[in-house]
Amino acid sequence: MSNNRVSRRQFLGYTLTGVGGFMAAGMLMPMVRFAVDPVLQQKDGGDFVLTDQRAEDITEEPVRVDFTFEQTDAWYVSEVTNSAWVYREGDKLIALSPVCKHLGCTVNWAGDPEHPTQFFCPCHAGRYEKNGQNIAGTPPLGPLDEYLVEEQDGYVAIGAVRPNTLV
Amino acid sequence: MHFIGKDMDQYLSQKDYVDTAVVPLLQLDLSEAGLKSSAGASEYLQSLTALLEKQFKGRILLFPPVAYAKSTDRLRLSNELSIEMKKADFKHVFYMTTDAEWRSVEELKNVLWLPAIPTEHMDRNFKQSVMEDQLRQVLPLFLKEWS
Ligand code: FES
Repeated sequence: MSNNRVSRRQFLGYTLTGVGGFMAAGMLMPMVRFAVDPVLQQKDGGDFVLTDQRAEDITEEPVRVDFTFEQTDAWYVSEVTNSAWVYREGDKLIALSPVCKHLGCTVNWAGDPEHPTQFFCPCHAGRYEKNGQNIAGTPPLGPLDEYLVEEQDGYVAIGAVRPNTLV
Repeated sequence: MHFIGKDMDQYLSQKDYVDTAVVPLLQLDLSEAGLKSSAGASEYLQSLTALLEKQFKGRILLFPPVAYAKSTDRLRLSNELSIEMKKADFKHVFYMTTDAEWRSVEELKNVLWLPAIPTEHMDRNFKQSVMEDQLRQVLPLFLKEWS
């Protein structure tokens, strides 16, 4: 009989250690998350992402601007492309999130021919004014979120998302 | 929405709005000749359905791809899937696939068949624009079904 055969008692011992380990991990996990989370959030939200949209080409008519960044989802790092609706108001750039505040579909500027100066959500016909204000009587209950936005060397750069400050 | 735990609470409370299921059908061909293109098709199908989910997040529930062997009886699979799908009360169920064999299975309704485009050698921007082009072909089919 070989020496490294696991006896029944040993096996039970290993198993119990395993379970104990799990339990310890279960107790530790919330604490670790608590300690780590705020740091991660700051890192994700702080930076501006440079796009290839020239700032001088932005007019009063919202256009879709894509921006790509790396996202870490647990251990899995992936590249994510998001977009913003960007337009000019006076000498200021405005960037709105395309994520519908009802259930999260992507809204389109002038997506409904009957409302050419509004954002339209194709999922349940939600509508928003140009500044993101949701239109009463349509499903969304709040205005579109807003991105921090700035001009960097003539190009549009998109920053962190925050609640709408225009309405 | 995705078929993940986190999205299910929202799905369950918003069932009236999330009325459409999307089920990718994915053929596995692991033969030496088929492996590469099978993997490419898988990549294509998953990129496309992920984009679709992003566009219609609040109205569709995207299921993980149903993967089956090349020799699988499509008719039987489609019957089993339909029965399972009926247990949830979706108003619309779409199946999306690159597998041409589904074109002869008439029992299954709303199968969107798309020929896979190999995207592995494309750079990021080009791939993105190709996939969005593909998405634009699919969107009207959904809007039509919903209207
Ligand atoms: S998700 Fe936009 S209206 Fe419902």
